[in-house]
Order: sequence, then C-alpha cells, then structure tokens
Amino acid sequence: MSSERTRDFGRYVAAADDDVIICRCEEVAKGEIRRAVRDGLFTVHEVRRLLRCGMGLCQGNTCARLVRGIIARELGVAADSLVEATGRAPARPLEMRVFAREQGL
Amino acid sequence: MTRYDLIVIGAGPAGLSAAAEAAGAGLRVAVFDENAKPGGQLFKQIHKFFGAKEHKAKIRGVKIGAELLAEAEKRGAEVFLNSPVAGLYKEREILVRRGEGVGHYKGDAIIVATGAQENMPAFAGWTLPGVMGAGAAQTLMHLHRVKPGKRVLMLGSGNVGLVVGFQLRQAGCELAAVLDAAPRIGGYGVHAAKLARTGVPFYLSHSIVRAWGTDKVTGVVAGEVDGGWNFIPGREKQFEVDTVCIAAGLAPATQLLKMAGCAMRAAGADWLPVCSAVGETSLPGVYAAGDVSGIEEASSAMIEGRLAGGAAARKLGFIGPDEYEERRQVLLAALASLREGMFAPQKRGQISAQTDEGIDLSQTLLRKGYLEEGEVGKYPGVKPAAGIHPVIECTQNIPCNPCRDACPQGCIKVTGGIAALPEYDDRAGCAGCGLCVAVCPGQAIFLLNEDAGDGLAEVTAPYEFLPLPQKGELGAALARSGEKLCPAEVVRVKLAPAFDRTALVTFRVPRDFAMRARFWQKEAAA
Repeated sequence: MSSERTRDFGRYVAAADDDVIICRCEEVAKGEIRRAVRDGLFTVHEVRRLLRCGMGLCQGNTCARLVRGIIARELGVAADSLVEATGRAPARPLEMRVFAREQGL
Repeated sequence: MTRYDLIVIGAGPAGLSAAAEAAGAGLRVAVFDENAKPGGQLFKQIHKFFGAKEHKAKIRGVKIGAELLAEAEKRGAEVFLNSPVAGLYKEREILVRRGEGVGHYKGDAIIVATGAQENMPAFAGWTLPGVMGAGAAQTLMHLHRVKPGKRVLMLGSGNVGLVVGFQLRQAGCELAAVLDAAPRIGGYGVHAAKLARTGVPFYLSHSIVRAWGTDKVTGVVAGEVDGGWNFIPGREKQFEVDTVCIAAGLAPATQLLKMAGCAMRAAGADWLPVCSAVGETSLPGVYAAGDVSGIEEASSAMIEGRLAGGAAARKLGFIGPDEYEERRQVLLAALASLREGMFAPQKRGQISAQTDEGIDLSQTLLRKGYLEEGEVGKYPGVKPAAGIHPVIECTQNIPCNPCRDACPQGCIKVTGGIAALPEYDDRAGCAGCGLCVAVCPGQAIFLLNEDAGDGLAEVTAPYEFLPLPQKGELGAALARSGEKLCPAEVVRVKLAPAFDRTALVTFRVPRDFAMRARFWQKEAAA
C-alpha cells in the first residue's frame, strides 16, 4: 500500500450507519474507522493504533474481520489484500497481577 | 519450565484426538484448554453425526466427546482445564495461565487445535442483549440448561444455523424464521427440512437491517438483498423476537499460529496456516489440526487430530516408519471419504445443479427448506411399494451411510461412494423395524404403510421432542412445508435402546396424505 500513500481516496462523507459500534471492547464506531481511512490511515495496524479497535478484551477476535472489511471498502480494494494486525501475547486477557506471577521457571 | 513430548492446545475434537493418538504411541502429552469443561464444541452437539462407522456416524456428538476424553486420559494424556494459552513461540514454548499465575511449558512437538470463532455481522442494534452467536445459544442450552429466549430469529442457514435452530425448537423456543443473505440454503437440505416441517419459514436473500429494543432486543427489521448484497428498498419485514442468533460462518482461530510465525495463506476472507497433509506448519514440529487449519465438520477435525498426533509420534521416534505409514494411509482415506459429495471443502462456492446421479436438485429445498411433493419420487430412496416400506428423502450427496448398515434386511443400498444417494431395494422386503428411521442423522427416513385399513395410511416419523406423544393422542399432521394437513392420531410410539433416544412416532392419516404428512405436531393445550 505504501506506493499509494499519496493517492486521494476522497474525503470522508457521513453515512447513515456511521454510529454502528464495530469494536465492542473499545467502543469504536464505523464512522470513526471510515474517517481514519479518509484521513490517510490505510492499514489495519495504523487504524488499530489510532482508534484501539481490536486492542480490547477480546483482542480483535470479534471485530478484526469487520474492521478489515470497512477499510478495504473505503479504499476500494479486496479485503484479503490487507495484512492482518500482528498477533501478540497475551492472546487471551490476563490480569497484570497474573501475568507478573511466573511459575516454575 | 516443564517439558512434554507433545503439547496440544485445545481440548476439542481435533485436540483430544491428537492427544489420544500420540499418548497411545507412548508420548508424554499435555492438553491445555481455556474452558472449564473439555470437548470444545463436541459436548454441545446433541445431534447424531453424519459419515460412516469409522467416522462415528449416527452417534451423538456429546457421546463422541465423552468417549474421546476417556480415551485420551486412559492413554495417559494430562488435560489441563481453565488454562488459556496466551502465547506460542517458535521454539515450541507456550505461555499458559495456571490459576493465579502464568506457566511456561515446552513441547518437542506442538499441536494447535484452537478451533474457530464465529463471524459477526455489524448491524444497528447488534450489541443489544439478546443478540448472540449461535454458539452462545448452544452453550446456554446444553452446558448451562438455560433457554436463550422465547422467540428467536436465526441469521444464517449453514449447518450451524440449521442445527442450532432445531436445538432451539427442541429446547422449547419458537423459531420465528431462518434468514440468509445468500440465495440458497447453505447447510444440508435434510437439516433444513427438519426445521421446515415443524413450521419454520426460511427467507433466503434476506439479512438483518437493524435490531431494536431499549434494554434488550425486542424486534428485528430484515430486508431482502439483491445480487450485490444491497438491501432492496421497500422489501423490509419485521419480526418480533426477544433473541437473535447469528450463524454467519466461522473463522479459524489462528492467533497463536500467527504469533509463532507460521506461514499463512489467504483463503477467501480467512487466513489459513500453510500445512502438510498431516498438518505440519512451516515451523518444524508445530502442527495445526481441526478448524484452525480450515473450517470443516467435527468428524474431519477428529481425523486431522489423529493425523497430526501420529505425525508427532513419528517425528519424535515413538513409532517406526512402516507402522506410521500404514496408519497414515487409513486416516487419509477416512478423511478423503468425508470430503466426498457436494458439500466438500474443495467445492465451497461452487453451485451444483444436479446430484452425482444426474438428478436435478430440488430448488424448493434450497430456497424454502423442503421438498415439493411432486419431486420426491425422482430420488432413488423413494419408490412406491405395497405394505410397509421406507421412504428415504435424502436428495443431496452427503458423505453418510448409517441407513445402509442399519437395515437388517439389506433393503438400503449406498453404492458408488459414501456420498451416493441411498436407494431403496424393494426386493429385499422391509420388515418395518424402523432402525433406518432412527439412525438417519438427517431424520430424512420415514416408514409408510399406505394401506392401514379404513382408507387410512400409517406414517412413521423420527421424533426428538419432549414430552413424547402418547398412543391414542390426537394431534395434527404437518406437510414437509409445515402446513397443517389434518388431525392425526398417534397409534404407536417406539423407543428402543438402539434408537438412541430418537423416538419413532406412528400416526394415522387419510391415504391421500400418506406422501404428504411428515411431522406429527402436538396440539397446543387449550
């Protein structure tokens, strides 16, 4: 996508379903994602870092595909051309007190 | 750091099978699962499985799960529950929550059998309480014994939507409708027919526009979609429901594989690990088995698990090359037979117009969930005969053959592959035992006696609702479409141990209705 950095995808135009929540954990609405893409964030990584969609309790298990689809539609590309966000530990929610208590090292 | 020969992540059908296979070869095996109960989705599958004997066909998923768990534990595999795996690293190390801390474990081989997660469509109101995945509804019903709601709308007509829809009916919920944005029912026709004959309407090319409600969902606006998946203005329908179940497909739960650095490939909307025939990923000694390597049925997942478990045993030197190869060929053949027929994973997205036998598929079955009376006779399982005889309404090529093995008279033939349509051979002479009716996982076989005297016919149908009807009870005979045909008296209710809790209900209808009546409905109490 980097070669398309300067491509103009047009300005954000409000849509009727912009207030539909996409990332339930972090309460990110569809319109916020659409606006972020129009503001120049063309990858799942960038959108995730700006809006935190996919960084909540479920780690994107519910919304990753939805977010990818919305970004792809705004850019007019196929969803599978967008690289998924990097998976990192912990893949499951762990409280910090649990994470810090390592056993049997 | 604790070390095992093999670490299996996920105690579902694939994981438990992998553990049983490897532990049987002498490996020290640990299985980690995040849930409080083992079995993955198996313990929520109360229906009888499709396939052949070698695939545990006609046995209910919950029983297969219990047997698999017992096998794995008996062979010495340790199963750790409430133990979510939070990290997988390419050195074959995992990070697991154990109680109030985290543990590190290393395996000489790792099998990732983390299954799948449900896809969620986002529509206005999808975050309201009462909107849930079909899997959540199953968990409520079968693990917690809680009815998800009174009146449910199901979005999705794949096997998950159809099977869970039927289970909702069994739990006593009303099913307002099954919707699917696709123009055809995605799951097995026999599963759809089970629902349609109880009166559940199907709306294909329909999806949810929005759900409404304040504290919880109280209704849904659905709309018809065109070929480009856009809603057609003016074609909305309203459903008053307190529950919406979403069965919009599954996505492989590949997070751990990606984290470890396994090579992935795009497959449609999913990313799948690049795997060998036995499930080895691009990381040596790290395997993927079951839905995480591509969505299929639990029966396939169990074989994939055994393949990966055996491959790990071979890699670590626990079994010799000849023993391994022999076992591998048996398992690969079993897997190949499950991948026969029109629902095979390699045929996904293709549309068949005819069966392998060259018979036109029923378009009514694909759009409304039932066969038209006039077209039933086209299929080889349906032949007119005098006296009592089976009517096998099996019209799609599904890898399944318990009916053939069940018939003590040898009346039912499934020839030319496991996915061939069953054929009724009237020369052998049906004894009316009803075993075929009870074992058919699709509940697609009926016994008919068109001359029961007094101008009446007797129809025997599989029945899996409680309470069972009583002999002499008056109810209504319903057509395949769920249309009420006539009053019908129950003349027999048979429940033998070999039926495994599928009752055979025989009811009497006027002879003209013999080829139409396919369900007996209890009359609502006045």
